[in-house]
Amino acid sequence: MNGPAALVLALAAWLPARAAAQVATLHWGAQAIPALTATAVVPGGETLTELRVVQPFLMLRADAFRHRLTGLATGNFEKWTMPNGELVPGAWGEGFADRRHPHTVFHELMLVVPADRFFLAAGKGFVPFGSDDPMSRPVLRYPVNHHWAQILERAVAIGGARDGPLMLEGSLFNGDEPVSPDSWPAIDRFGDSWSVRLTLSPPTTPLELQVSYAFVHSPENRAGAGPDDIKWSASARWERSPVYGLLEWARTSVSSGDLVYHSVLAEASVAMGGHRPYGRFEVTERPEDDRLADPFRTVWPPLDNSILGVTRWTVVTAGDAIELKPLGPVRLAPVAELSYAWIAKVGGGAFDPAAFYGREHGLVVTLGVRVTAGMRMTRMGRYGSTATMDEPGMHHHDE
Amino acid sequence: MTNDRGTVRRAATLGAAAVLVACSSTSDSSTGPTDPLNESPLPVVATVSVPQAYGIHDMYVRDGIAFVCVWDSGVIVFDVGRGAWGGSPSKPVRVSSVVIPGGAAHNAWWFHNPATGEQRYLFVGQEGPGIIDSTSSGDIYVVDVSDLLNPRVVGSYHRDGAGTHNFWMDEDKQILYAAYYNGGVVAIDVSGTLPDTLALREISRIQPGGTQSTYVWGVHLFNGSLYASDMVSGFWQLHTANGVLSVAAGGNNVAERFTSDLWLANGYAYTGTWGRRGTTRGNALKVWALNPDGSPALVDSVITSGITTVSDVEVSASGKLLMFSTEGGGQDVGFYFYSLANPAHPTFLTRVVSSPPGIHTATFATINGRKYAFGAQDPSAARLVILDVTSLDP
Repeated sequence: MNGPAALVLALAAWLPARAAAQVATLHWGAQAIPALTATAVVPGGETLTELRVVQPFLMLRADAFRHRLTGLATGNFEKWTMPNGELVPGAWGEGFADRRHPHTVFHELMLVVPADRFFLAAGKGFVPFGSDDPMSRPVLRYPVNHHWAQILERAVAIGGARDGPLMLEGSLFNGDEPVSPDSWPAIDRFGDSWSVRLTLSPPTTPLELQVSYAFVHSPENRAGAGPDDIKWSASARWERSPVYGLLEWARTSVSSGDLVYHSVLAEASVAMGGHRPYGRFEVTERPEDDRLADPFRTVWPPLDNSILGVTRWTVVTAGDAIELKPLGPVRLAPVAELSYAWIAKVGGGAFDPAAFYGREHGLVVTLGVRVTAGMRMTRMGRYGSTATMDEPGMHHHDE
Repeated sequence: MTNDRGTVRRAATLGAAAVLVACSSTSDSSTGPTDPLNESPLPVVATVSVPQAYGIHDMYVRDGIAFVCVWDSGVIVFDVGRGAWGGSPSKPVRVSSVVIPGGAAHNAWWFHNPATGEQRYLFVGQEGPGIIDSTSSGDIYVVDVSDLLNPRVVGSYHRDGAGTHNFWMDEDKQILYAAYYNGGVVAIDVSGTLPDTLALREISRIQPGGTQSTYVWGVHLFNGSLYASDMVSGFWQLHTANGVLSVAAGGNNVAERFTSDLWLANGYAYTGTWGRRGTTRGNALKVWALNPDGSPALVDSVITSGITTVSDVEVSASGKLLMFSTEGGGQDVGFYFYSLANPAHPTFLTRVVSSPPGIHTATFATINGRKYAFGAQDPSAARLVILDVTSLDP
């Protein structure tokens, strides 16, 4: 039975029983961002300009049994709005390069049992590793380090315990990445990968520190025959309205250290009136896989465990979002974002950025409108904090 | 019915049922296209699915036995016409398998030793992680296949800082030549009974492009010279004096593309190309005429649209039929067949398209008087594909 069919059956089973069901609260939120992006940092060095609807989602959150049980569901519609990916120089993963891949339709389906000292969570969703998902952060463009700093869309079971300012989370999950927007986790691989995350949240400050570790078995080969990843992440996050900031370090070692990738990222935003200027600085290494006839697609899983080389992407991004007066239930926030990217070859290897892109640095410009309705987005990837969280740094005129 | 702050009556079972039932599925809801092999202009006599643990990489077919290298699942031995187990090309029968330490079984050569009459050793290449033009890893394993029902690993050869790729053998002289990527080419004495480590059997090694421009994909012995295809520095002629290697000619002659596999026949050489070098696709088959001294001179290039790699090249035993496998495209990947009526300028005969990303390797075999092409579809939907190509090379 495939996933969507199973979901329909689940809903059908629920409907007759709802009269006897417990009282619950349901919140919803939705988003879509029509975005026009132009850049010359593309294979061949020509300038590309594309309009896509990015990060479209519908999020549902149900709290039941007096908040003793929470269900989270996020549908992501990038399968339809950007089937060939979003133009993002430096983005990579799941068979895409220099385009961000579309996420799976059933992006998140989680049940969370929160309690004062512990929580349990299970379903398809975020692994307790690294920082919040980029979709729930101020910068529109995804960072290069998405596959180093987050692990998502997995069948995951999470247990967490709190003791004062400390929270320790551990998880079991399947190592395989999605292979398409319709993909479901390979359940027969559940438990072949694991993670732990320790978070310190001093009670009198808006500072949050985390360090996490993950062993991910064969992420790029669904059958399980690819090399394993050893991942580390550490970050410091600050959020007290109107200021948000994140400082992040990540390291992934592939195949027992044959390849090691590093990332450092810093980003911040501040709400000022209706404006929310933001910025990001990132230095991230990524693998260069063999490309297909479509130069934005890669041989995936990689053939023979080989890559063409490693590149280091240094990306500086600045932008501003302006939150307009809501139109009924709909909030509009025009966004203008500029990024400048430098590409450098790291070590040996056949990949030559100058030859492939026709340049070693260039500009990326995006104009868009963040259209949202319903509840604000939660901090994606933090099931231990089940309270609805606002998007960082966003000032709310409508509340 | 709902709003961002509204409260509604809902069953708490909603999320639970949806999550548990939906995530219990293991299948992928995407549906694949119709198998393009159904449109093959040549008879597809068999397809054999293999464990999907990274797929099938290369095959060595000899005397009705196919050694199929299936990565972490090891080398799988099939009877494809030997008869001992009732197998045939249209009905391959699995005989046995052997897993090499560390997995990643990539290629093989079944050594028929003319000095002893033995068919005891199978050499297996392991392909570990690497960076093209920089690093590589993986060892050579020696498998005793004197009992095909019970193959067992009996030895190995390891080099620090480099990994092996394709083989060729001088069986008369009992020398194994192994491409070794950044390590160049290695010649190993494999005469007699082999020890558990072949380190002391190494005869010589060479990096034809020097330390900075060597990444050798394959080797082929022809008319007394060893030819090497180097991904970075092109096509080389090497002298070999009982395994002692030295550069003879060639090299630095394919600058615009990465070079891949090679085959020599009829006084000509055919080399493939791989991936993208800069923005130039590896969609070319290079044709080289061999001068009287064996040095190569480029005489033609066959360009195939819609692909990015010519991954394997072979000429039939008759010298009349050229085959190469292709990858990296959309709807144009698979087997390609060319006539060598004029060996300097191959002419297209037909192609057999496979599912993307294509056919990784291909080899000819003559079994019971008919000619077959064996192909490795890899890594998606990994399977062995067997075509009857007798009509192309009667």
